[in-house]
Amino acid sequence: MEPLRPGPMSVPGMTETTEAVARARAGDAEAWGELYRQYAPAIFRFSRRALPTREDAEDATMEIFMKLKGKLSQYDETRSFSAWLYRVAANHCWDILRRRKVRQDKETEDVDEVPLEHPDPNQLDKLIEQRTSEEVREALHKLGARARMALVLRYYSDMSYDEIADELGVRRAFVGVVLLRARHELRQALEGKAALAAGGTP
Amino acid sequence: MSEPADPVSQKRPDGTMDHLDEITCLMYAERQLDRARAEAVSAHAQDCAACRTLLRALERESRLLTRAMLEEDEPLPARLAHFQQSARASFQWVWGLIFALAATGLYAVYTEFVAWTDRLEQAGLGGTSLLNLLIVQGAFWKGWQSVITLLEALAMVTLVGFGAIVLRRRIGRRGSALALVLASFCAFMVLPTMASATEFRRGDRITIGPDEVIHGDVYAAGGRVRVEGTIDGDLIAGAGEIEVLGHVVGDVISSSGTMRVTGQVDGNIRSYAGNMTIKGKVGRNVMIAGGDLNIDRDAVIGGSVSSFGGHLTMDGQVGHDVLAMGGAVTISGTLSGGATVRSGELNFDSTAVVKGPVEFAGDNPAEISSGAKLASPVHFTKLRHGPDYNSSSYYIWRVIWMAAYILFGLALFKVMPDFSRECVGMADRYGPSLGLGILAGPGVFVGGCIACVTVVGLFIGISTLFLLWGALYYAQVIAATMVGQWILGRSKENWPLIGRMAIGMVIVRLSFVIPHAGFWLKLFVLIWGMGAITLALYSRFQPRIPAAHAAPIQPLPVAAGPAL
Repeated sequence: MEPLRPGPMSVPGMTETTEAVARARAGDAEAWGELYRQYAPAIFRFSRRALPTREDAEDATMEIFMKLKGKLSQYDETRSFSAWLYRVAANHCWDILRRRKVRQDKETEDVDEVPLEHPDPNQLDKLIEQRTSEEVREALHKLGARARMALVLRYYSDMSYDEIADELGVRRAFVGVVLLRARHELRQALEGKAALAAGGTP
Repeated sequence: MSEPADPVSQKRPDGTMDHLDEITCLMYAERQLDRARAEAVSAHAQDCAACRTLLRALERESRLLTRAMLEEDEPLPARLAHFQQSARASFQWVWGLIFALAATGLYAVYTEFVAWTDRLEQAGLGGTSLLNLLIVQGAFWKGWQSVITLLEALAMVTLVGFGAIVLRRRIGRRGSALALVLASFCAFMVLPTMASATEFRRGDRITIGPDEVIHGDVYAAGGRVRVEGTIDGDLIAGAGEIEVLGHVVGDVISSSGTMRVTGQVDGNIRSYAGNMTIKGKVGRNVMIAGGDLNIDRDAVIGGSVSSFGGHLTMDGQVGHDVLAMGGAVTISGTLSGGATVRSGELNFDSTAVVKGPVEFAGDNPAEISSGAKLASPVHFTKLRHGPDYNSSSYYIWRVIWMAAYILFGLALFKVMPDFSRECVGMADRYGPSLGLGILAGPGVFVGGCIACVTVVGLFIGISTLFLLWGALYYAQVIAATMVGQWILGRSKENWPLIGRMAIGMVIVRLSFVIPHAGFWLKLFVLIWGMGAITLALYSRFQPRIPAAHAAPIQPLPVAAGPAL
């Protein structure tokens, strides 16, 4: 199935989705089933990337859709449904992670702590080239909750910096910092060596 | 906190340009820089190969991230694929059916038990119910019986269940929901009484002396409790032997081996006792569960007498009615009200005086001595042993219970899916689960009873027996799931397991109806299920052995290797 992402990618199916949403709002069980069939795989994948275990992702997917039933009346039909759905999913997953307080203390907004060292571009390039998608997915699960969430919101949900700031509760100006730190953590997880993550200087 | 530093590079003293920092490159690659800064970065990158490489690496990293995240590496789990369908099915017609059955159950409760509640009301236990009497009204329970009806009890249990689910979500999925439910329930039972406590006494021999006056409630736990003085409140006691020679202004609520009341109790006596003798005066009602009750010639009871379980010998005066279920009943004294007796035998001695109607359900008609004075003839009903297969209500109740079990199983599979799955897995090991079940069921029961008798462990004992009682229901759910698996095949998913449980439960409950064989089948199911639960618990408490393929511990490096 073609991955569903907010924004332009979801435009082709938008008319059908809007109709299904309208019917689901009116209590049409078939329409609800249609929405579920269409979006459940993408939301499961989103949850899978954002949450630590597969079981968590399964639970979260079900909870998100249960929640969605109640929230459907709040959806503004002039906007993208999938974007709105991702917001709901992101809120839910972030709530779960926040409640668990998983490794949140690893990230701060303190700019002074952000490594602004120039990394070794060639080594970084080499590292990126050598790593497979599967390795990246494995490494993602080694990251702190916020770092992982930031990457998922940006590179899976294609959220803007404003939206990410809103979701994570940070100032818009520091979304880049959060993302960069997340990338460093990821590189560290991929490489298993602190040197690269700390700036990559040999 | 300040904004990130100006991204664009500065000139070095020697005139060469410093490199762009990584955050600037990232913001540029992500198109987050304003026009002026983006142009500056672009201009720099044209002259600087290292920064160009970095920009390219960052973009490649972004693409790798997106690709890694969007790749469909795992199919949608079956649980989710069927979720919408099963949710619709369960939340619509399955739930509809269950609620319809629940409504039928309520109607049946109303029509069938209304007579009993009337009787109990007459017996001075206004507004209470059979369930409340037998289950809810524990040794620590005080004063609730007048407000709790069957429906309120069910509502309370439901509330505790929902509370447990909410708490479980807050606390986390690893917590034992069952423990939480039981702990909340126990706390709920104890708290109302604890709140009004004024005095606690504990010891082998507790005596309230003849000159002693205690204003407030007394909680006593010991080998022997003796009240010679006055308690201007309630006496709540758990002991091997309790003796009231003095005066208790409030109620006496007790659990004991033997109990003697030769003094005066102005309120009610509610007791779980092996044997109770009343020689003194009781202002209101007497209720005993479990053992024999002997109302002496000198005894005067202002209210009613309810006896469940043992023999009842009534030689004194009772102001209202007598309700007795269980052992033989002998009436020699004066009963101002009527009597409802359901037991093996009923005797009226020549000195007996009964001013109200007498209803007796037993094996043989009541024996009435010639001198006995009864206001009206005894209304006798031959007691039927075993189920009445000709009665429609019998089948209605079977269906209601079946639905209740399915609902119970559904709740358990939802509240503790992992443990339920483990139990079902253990039930698959027939030999160990049956063997352990034979030991565990009676073992826990005996253990609970011993804990109760040793007084100090009374609360633990009662909790254990409650746990066992719940486990017996759970055992049927587990065994039914296995039966369902025999028919539909094995499954590890929650909803398919619930479906198998429902089908299995129908079969298991139907099998219990078979005359003669039903009893043995039920015993088999209980033993099997209990064994599976015990095995699952055992495996949970076993220390985890590290996996054989776990990576060996690496020695610490002598020195850090070269950085990349």
